[in-house]
Amino acid sequence: MSNGVSDFFQDIYGGLKQVGSALSPAIPAVVGGLLTNEAYDRLSKIGEQSILGTTVDGVRVPGAMEIAERGQAESQFKPFTVTTPTGAMFTARMGGQPMVSPMPVTSPGGFSPAAPPSMVLPPIEGGVSPLISSGLRQLKSRGDQLLEDLPQMMQTDPALKARYDSLLQDAIRSYDASPIIPEGGARFAAEQDAMQQLKRSIMDQERLGIAPGEALPTGPFVHTSYMPKPTLMEPQPTTGGLEVGMTLSPQEQAMQQQLFGGAGDFFGQAQMPTTAREQAIFERMRAAQRPEEERQRLALEERLAAQGRLGTRSAAYGGATPEQLAMATAQEEARTRSMLGAMQQAQAEQMQQAGLGQQFLGASYLPQAQLLAAAQPAQRMAELQQQAQLYGTGLFGETAMSGLESRLLAEQARANLLGGIGSNILAGMFTPALAKDGTVINAGGFDLGGLFGGVTEGLGDIIRILNPFDD
Amino acid sequence: MAQELRSINLVAPAFKGVNTEDSPLAQDPSFAEIADNAVIDKRGRIAARKGHTVVTTTKTVLGTDSLRAIKEFKDNAGNTKIFSVGNNKIISGTTTLVDETPGSYTITADNWKLVDFNDKIYFFQRGYQPLVYDNAGGSVITLSSVSGAAGVTSAMYGNEVLAAYGRLWTADVTGDKSTVYWSDLLIGHDWSGGTSGSIDISKVWPDGYDEIVALAAHNGLLIIFGKHSIVAYQGAEAPATMSLADTVAGVGCVDRDTVQYTGTDVLFLSHTGLKSFGRTIQEKSLPISSLSGNITKDIIAALQNETEFFRSVYSPEEGFYLLTFTGQDVTYCFDVRGTLENGSYRVTRWPSTKFTAYTRLDDGTLYVGTVNGISTYTGYSDNGSGYRFKYYSPSLTFGDSARIKILKKLKPTLVGANNSVVFMKWAYDFDTTYATTEFTVGTQITGYYGESEYTTVEFTGGQLTNQRSLNTTGYGTSVQVGLESEIDGSPLSLQEINVMALIGKLL
Repeated sequence: MSNGVSDFFQDIYGGLKQVGSALSPAIPAVVGGLLTNEAYDRLSKIGEQSILGTTVDGVRVPGAMEIAERGQAESQFKPFTVTTPTGAMFTARMGGQPMVSPMPVTSPGGFSPAAPPSMVLPPIEGGVSPLISSGLRQLKSRGDQLLEDLPQMMQTDPALKARYDSLLQDAIRSYDASPIIPEGGARFAAEQDAMQQLKRSIMDQERLGIAPGEALPTGPFVHTSYMPKPTLMEPQPTTGGLEVGMTLSPQEQAMQQQLFGGAGDFFGQAQMPTTAREQAIFERMRAAQRPEEERQRLALEERLAAQGRLGTRSAAYGGATPEQLAMATAQEEARTRSMLGAMQQAQAEQMQQAGLGQQFLGASYLPQAQLLAAAQPAQRMAELQQQAQLYGTGLFGETAMSGLESRLLAEQARANLLGGIGSNILAGMFTPALAKDGTVINAGGFDLGGLFGGVTEGLGDIIRILNPFDD
Repeated sequence: MAQELRSINLVAPAFKGVNTEDSPLAQDPSFAEIADNAVIDKRGRIAARKGHTVVTTTKTVLGTDSLRAIKEFKDNAGNTKIFSVGNNKIISGTTTLVDETPGSYTITADNWKLVDFNDKIYFFQRGYQPLVYDNAGGSVITLSSVSGAAGVTSAMYGNEVLAAYGRLWTADVTGDKSTVYWSDLLIGHDWSGGTSGSIDISKVWPDGYDEIVALAAHNGLLIIFGKHSIVAYQGAEAPATMSLADTVAGVGCVDRDTVQYTGTDVLFLSHTGLKSFGRTIQEKSLPISSLSGNITKDIIAALQNETEFFRSVYSPEEGFYLLTFTGQDVTYCFDVRGTLENGSYRVTRWPSTKFTAYTRLDDGTLYVGTVNGISTYTGYSDNGSGYRFKYYSPSLTFGDSARIKILKKLKPTLVGANNSVVFMKWAYDFDTTYATTEFTVGTQITGYYGESEYTTVEFTGGQLTNQRSLNTTGYGTSVQVGLESEIDGSPLSLQEINVMALIGKLL
């Protein structure tokens, strides 16, 4: 029995030894491959960590995105308010920013400006053109929507769920292989990454018009489209554009409205047809002329009566006397002159109304112009502040990024070291061993047939030992 | 003891004409109570008027009617033509009357006025389209038929027409009695173009209202006669600017046909007698005179009794202005050679002459229209018939109306009156029953020197004078003497009447 047992164990040992003998030549290759893989994973992790940040020795190291977001946040426009001695107020802020309380100013009239901004400019997103900004907003909106909808969509779409699982496994493996533990855990970070990648994949398909089941195209021209879009391209956190508010004091507003109304009245009068005004002027002129004309007519009538000529009708003088014709002609000329004068006067008044309208309109903008003039020095101060702010932000970003770069270099060095070791191991395994005399001790290379034959043979011996009745 | 006869010599009796206005007792013996068919002859004597000699031999177109107007047409070429109206016709000619009435032109009245103007003669009557004749056309036509006629409408169918100051003037239109219309200058048929025109003087009448009766051009004025007022315009050469120069209230003109120009005056008959506008060149005023002051009541009575129309004529050759009341067949003859102390003309009366129209030709011939056609005022018989010349003195008192006068003799001195029977009449104390004695003037044939019937040693003067002495009877405080004679071929002038009377006791 003891021999039998001993033989048994010897047989097993022999099998194992045969397997071990078969595997021993492959160990350096395995170790070299693992080291190379570790170097690769570390390089990948370093790239992601440079974007997403990581925690080193319990210290949160921000990624490029965080630095950019912080820089964006810190470089945001700082609202400011300018209040003039007359009570007008100039306010500049980005949409969504809180109102800046003006300094308490007591206007000469005892009024304090309290009106909301009266003018809002369209949003301008940090140097990005409005068109691009609009597109980014749309993409962000679609992405956010997809992030919300994906859990539901995956419940009804197994293919989508399978893609997510695949991406998740990849992400888990990546995090598991990374020495950096992301915030919230590798699992959580892997889920976020998988969701983000799935979202981007769907958005790319939507953008390219590819059905959800189809494969994305590959190639140099579209490859970049599949690259994860940096979050820098996401819209700024502000909800609106630059809002510039100008508020006038109640007196100024009252004056402005009065002038505005006056301008409107004058312009309205200037736009009115002049016919009625001409008639009115003509009537007034005629009203001034009529008494004298009536006196002259009566005087002529008296003269004619005294001369016994009231009833004179002469064909040569239009059926009247020469004096009557002369008077009628003179009066008609006066009427004509009055008519022309009325036309000219009406047109002059029209011009005058237009001029007054312009004057009133210009004067109505005077408080605003004065407010803008008063805001100019303050705007310069704001620009100086913004420059300092931007400088600080840039300094912070550069400093943070230099740390990241240093870490990246270190990690790169470590990865290169591991990669070099792995490579050397692998190279050694495939390099022939020579004796001093140049005789090949080991030809090098990796005999897979021997490996698998030895392993198979050893394992077959073991199995046969463990299952003697199979034969 | 026999008393001495008192001689009262009535030298040139009635040479002052008739005076029926003053009291007979206070009258100048030079006036006459009656002076019928008499004129004041060239020597200031009362004399028988002339008669008329009918020129017309064929008056078929006139029928039994009388001529109502006569007018001589003359143009610058020397053409003349006599036009007359009567029997509702326009007539031409003198010996043979020719109907010149335009065809289809109906006339129912003969109150036409004819004026000669710019080589044409125009016929105007109220309510009728004016007619016109010129020598070139040779016929009377309506005014609107004239080439270029304009404005010839019923508005200017006036009853009065005047050719003066280079235009035709018309007035007295039916329904419009206050407007004077004038034609274009020198164009009598253009009433709406050129310088034609009108003037309504309804507001000019000095007493508020009047109606235009006649027009006259005098002393540089256009005189517009109303019925009882007159207005005068100056500067009528340019009617459009003419102006009132004067007005006269209370005196007007009775009828357009009484207006006559005497060269120095414009005579017209007013409701109070014959008046005249004098001519004062420097003052340019219009002194108005009453020329019938001695017969005012007679004139007024005649005016009131007149039922037909008036005719007048001025004859400088005869020196008279004749005014005929055709309805009463009486004509007053005003001697225009001078006025009396009271400014009146010497006036005589022509009864029963049957004169119905007058016109004076350029040669001085006076045409008279009668039922026989056209006559000339000439001779001393009315177309072969005699007419009675009458003279009656006013009542004579011989300077003492309280004493009885006993007429003894009447010694008239007559000039002419060849073979005429002369009736001398007298009456006392305003009695209208006259005592009469008659005598016949002998043959008063004038023997001219060198004519065959007379030798160089047997001839007479131009007019023979006949002086008679007639015994008279009766007595009274006032005496009126008269003389009547039938004029039939010979003239008669009364040179003087010498009245021989015996002055008796005081009554």
